[in-house]
Amino acid sequence: MRKTVLLIFTVCLIIISANAQKNESYDLGVGLKFQKTEQLYWENGVAADFTSDFLLNKKIHLKASYVTSRLGSAMIGNAVKQDNIVVGADWRFSSQKDLQIFAGLNTGFFHADMETPMFSVLPHNSLLFAIEAGLFYKFKFPAAASLSAGYNLISGDGVSGPGTLFPVYYQLSVFYYIGKK
Amino acid sequence: MNNLIKYISFVVSIFLLSCNSTPDINNATMLDGTLISDPSLAHPENYLVSAYIPSPTELQKNTPVIIAAHGYTATTFEWDELRTFANEKGTFYVSQVLLGGHGRSYTDFKTATWKDWQSSITDEYKKLSDLGFKKIYLAGSSTGAPLIVNMVKSGLFAGYTTPKGIFLVDPIVVSSNKTLTLVGLLGPVLGYLTTDLATGEQGHWYVYRPQETLKQLMALIDLTRLDLEKGITLPVGTYMKIYKSKTDDVADPVSALLLYKGMRTSTGGNVDAELVDSKLHVFTRLHGRDGITPTETQLQQKTFAEMEAKMTE
Repeated sequence: MRKTVLLIFTVCLIIISANAQKNESYDLGVGLKFQKTEQLYWENGVAADFTSDFLLNKKIHLKASYVTSRLGSAMIGNAVKQDNIVVGADWRFSSQKDLQIFAGLNTGFFHADMETPMFSVLPHNSLLFAIEAGLFYKFKFPAAASLSAGYNLISGDGVSGPGTLFPVYYQLSVFYYIGKK
Repeated sequence: MNNLIKYISFVVSIFLLSCNSTPDINNATMLDGTLISDPSLAHPENYLVSAYIPSPTELQKNTPVIIAAHGYTATTFEWDELRTFANEKGTFYVSQVLLGGHGRSYTDFKTATWKDWQSSITDEYKKLSDLGFKKIYLAGSSTGAPLIVNMVKSGLFAGYTTPKGIFLVDPIVVSSNKTLTLVGLLGPVLGYLTTDLATGEQGHWYVYRPQETLKQLMALIDLTRLDLEKGITLPVGTYMKIYKSKTDDVADPVSALLLYKGMRTSTGGNVDAELVDSKLHVFTRLHGRDGITPTETQLQQKTFAEMEAKMTE
């Protein structure tokens, strides 16, 4: 499972780097992501967003993120330490406007740290597969913010999947564009 | 504009029509109806120690008594087997409380809050303390567990006899059914959920789960999770053990981890916890279930014996 996610991630990086070298317009933003899962934790981390003319005139955005409760609920309390590595793609319905509506698919890898051998027998790893939609706003300066809601199509029941993998989450992301032409 | 109003009216009508709030209740067979109720309501002296020992002797005051709280939609039936065990041993008393709103009717259940559910545990605890019982224990199965944990967090034992120990059996802090996290949004559309009961369980559990009570359940377990994240310390001298089935289609087994991480003894130590090899939710209740194996019976008796040993050590 981890290999699959790594493979997808690597392919994305290769596509991005190969096309970024061509004489095409592209946007590469990096930033912070704040995620709140419905009835569960705050999980925060870093995110990247990339698009280019070759991605259907910037209608498609590729993204990657890492969010963890270690930078959220587990930092200030007894929450389970868990990590989400995610890659995905969004479709922008009005890619030329400052305010854009988007919808997309995400996949990735989820890991929860059970901390003690007694609880390590419980499922604590899972593939992630989610649908997500929201709003994306481009500021006049090289920054953007997005607000979205997602639904994990794979959630855990504590037997076949990790018990702290919940279905509904909300995200706020802020990006600063380090590469743009 | 007119078209927009028509569209909104149509959507609202569909939404309201889909709000299925009145289930079809069979009074003759269902606890949800008006004819069957939990027997502890008519005969509390058979279930509550405070009712059948209203004037305890010194010997009785020094005998351990355990208040057993059942789970969501259940009744005192859930702890009948512990009472049978206690009667055979003669070493401790079992006080079986019926949670508020439970064991009565669908209407009573629908209008009760989780604080109403909890009030019967608190009332019995205070009565036993006032009567002079010195060795009071608590046992909570499923939803009974977060209700007891909330009592600890809220300091409800202050001014009363400190509990000697707390046993949690298949506690629910995280639901196995994750779509229940959406009950706040989808509740009015759902109206209620229906549960399939085995023949031996009929009349002892509510069949219908009104969305109002599901919201109460989710509010309780969400509050418990947040309290555990902040940390909850047991009173001085109070013991705790968590028993959790490894496979449970109601209370996610990770609930035990959240309790283990969030609960601390008064000296800052970890509480005891054990993941047991069972696929039953509330593995200590076997009556009314179909196809019980000798292994499941052994596990139940082993757990009861362990609880007895702790209470009488």
